[in-house]
Amino acid sequence: MFNRTLRRRTVMAGVMLAALAGVSPSVLAQDLSGELVILQWQTGTDGQMWKDVEAKFMELHPGVTVREFQPAGGQGDARGGMRTALLGGEVVDIIINTWPAFRAELVNSGILRPIDDQWASFGWDDKLSQSWRDLGSIDGTTYGITYTYGDRSAIWYKTAQLEKAGITPPATWEEFLASFDKLKAAGYPAPVVIPAKYWAHTEWFETLLLRTAGVEAAAQLAAHQIPWTDPKVKTALMKYAEMLQAGCCADPATMLAIEQPYPTLYTSEDSSYLLFGMWTNSALKNDLALEEGVDYSIFQFPSLGMGFDDTSSVDAKELNVTTNGANPAAADAFLDFIVGPEASNIMANYGYASPSTAMDGSLLGPVQQIATGAVSSSKVQFVLGDLLPGDLVDEYRVQLQKFLQNPTEATVDEVLAAIEAKAATAY
Amino acid sequence: MIRSVAETVTDRSGVPSRAGGGQLRLPTTRGWRIKEAPAAWLLIAPVIILFGISVVYPLIDTIRLSFFDIKGLAPAKWVGIGNYVTLFNDATFRNTLLTTLIFTLGTTVISVSLGWVLAMLCAFAPVHTTPFRGMMFVTFGISEAVSGYMWLNILRPDKAGLLNAVIGIFVPGYAHSWLGDPNTALWALIFVASWSGVGLPLMLCFAAVQSIPKTVLEAAYMDGAKPTSIMRHIMMPLSLPGVRVAIFINLLGALRAFDIIYVMTGGGPVRATETVGYFMYRESMTQFKLGYGAAATVVLLVAVLVISIPAIIQRTAGAK
Repeated sequence: MFNRTLRRRTVMAGVMLAALAGVSPSVLAQDLSGELVILQWQTGTDGQMWKDVEAKFMELHPGVTVREFQPAGGQGDARGGMRTALLGGEVVDIIINTWPAFRAELVNSGILRPIDDQWASFGWDDKLSQSWRDLGSIDGTTYGITYTYGDRSAIWYKTAQLEKAGITPPATWEEFLASFDKLKAAGYPAPVVIPAKYWAHTEWFETLLLRTAGVEAAAQLAAHQIPWTDPKVKTALMKYAEMLQAGCCADPATMLAIEQPYPTLYTSEDSSYLLFGMWTNSALKNDLALEEGVDYSIFQFPSLGMGFDDTSSVDAKELNVTTNGANPAAADAFLDFIVGPEASNIMANYGYASPSTAMDGSLLGPVQQIATGAVSSSKVQFVLGDLLPGDLVDEYRVQLQKFLQNPTEATVDEVLAAIEAKAATAY
Repeated sequence: MIRSVAETVTDRSGVPSRAGGGQLRLPTTRGWRIKEAPAAWLLIAPVIILFGISVVYPLIDTIRLSFFDIKGLAPAKWVGIGNYVTLFNDATFRNTLLTTLIFTLGTTVISVSLGWVLAMLCAFAPVHTTPFRGMMFVTFGISEAVSGYMWLNILRPDKAGLLNAVIGIFVPGYAHSWLGDPNTALWALIFVASWSGVGLPLMLCFAAVQSIPKTVLEAAYMDGAKPTSIMRHIMMPLSLPGVRVAIFINLLGALRAFDIIYVMTGGGPVRATETVGYFMYRESMTQFKLGYGAAATVVLLVAVLVISIPAIIQRTAGAK
């Protein structure tokens, strides 16, 4: 009797285990094996962080070997190298991507595999909110899982400089403009550093567009549903002109020659404010050995009082899985791992914020705490430059360089007309 | 009159004689017909294969690509000469043609004339100027990317830039962004490219001067010619073949310039330093418009051919 009961219980337990195994990919994941190839283009501290993440995955899945495929780079935009690799026949399981427009290109070429089924079976809804899922979707189908994001409307500053100038982080646009004279008087001749050699000068316009016209208008502009000559766009550029005319910056030629913001801002005594991506945090912490929140900090873009001060620009990095990858099971498991506690906490220690609820928020430093708080309380819009077609984004950056040279209303009209002319052929 | 090799045979002493004269008959052009010498095929085959793979195939494929519209990872679409029509209607491309012309002429004129003058001066004391010539030639050996990074620091926009610091000795507080100002960026690039390019003209012109028979120079001295007259009336005219080669090599190098622009300005500011070579890279690799970029490549190729073919014909005629 006892034996029969034991046998029945054993059989039942076996059935239940089998059923559990059938519904829980994490159980199946223990049996993963083979090589997992990741198209990984990040270098420096970001690249090192990624190696730590991969090592942790291999520790959890000893049967899997992760191999990185590093495409040839190109002045900050890895897409050229990634396209060359994919067109050249390189087979990868996972692609690291930060450009929504590039995701669409990959989808249209049949390279990406939808991940809606995985989203349900792995239960990622518990870790990522619907807005993050929407960010990685095209026409209702999910292709990307966001693993880190950044606040692109945060202004970086050196705490000692603001203290010396006797000012606190400005909360309004007027306070911000007024702080320039105080900073100059304190010995910082160019309060705002704008590295305009390639693209960083567009950051100010993009947040100003959000703050003067809102996320809907910015989204419409990205999709060219409103023209670049729209008065809303002009208003944003005129606000930018206001800042330049208030004496924010070095002369235009100097701005147009700057490409490396970190040494400029943090090793020279010329400038104070920088509007740049959150990877700045990792670079300052790890490359320049500065103390987050002590040597430097951030404040959210000052309010303009035009009805859209609850908006922020964000960037994000996501993982995509390919249709031709040799190890789809390991790729799916890696996606699950990247939003899990182990990977999220590694990233937090490097100074990056994960959108996953699995991340231990206490690991984030004070700067990231400010940034994540600001994003969570804002209406967000992805970086405009990463949403535009490649043809257009180039013209957009060059025209804004022209604007920096002579920020008058006439130049604004001329510049917007030129971008609109390009936009008319770019979609 | 230039006689063809086929018409001439020489005896062992080098005296020309008519074919069939009973002397040793050296191979004529007709005698080297490749089908009559299978061994020649074997010897030349590796070169032909390598040339075909590394030059002919990419060239033909680039021309083929230029007739397609290829954007990113999207499938290619046949557009015929559409890319060329778009290219010549593209104001940006027309601007790059002008920039290329200025850059090419600027670097060629500066580096060749400077190299030529230095070669003349060095020729008066060839032994003593050997270290100087060696140093000048080293600049030619430095990779353009490396010299670009070096000059990037010299031309820094702030007071820490070497050039600004030197000017600052005379004009306190001077700071100019040489590479950020569209009015000076191209000229700064021309100067840097000329600096790294002056070594070759110097050596070529110096070699040409050295090949002038000493008797000619000695006769001029004996006749009481001053050094300036010797330089002007003897050395300069007789070193012209070296100058021509230097001009040819510099023109080709400047037309295809890319590395130094990529490193120093990225084609900016506001496309002020964007040459056809950089435009080609930007369209092909950054925008990934492979067909359009290929069309720009073909245009550049035609420009190179226009310069090369007359020079090659002239050199070949000279060889005969």
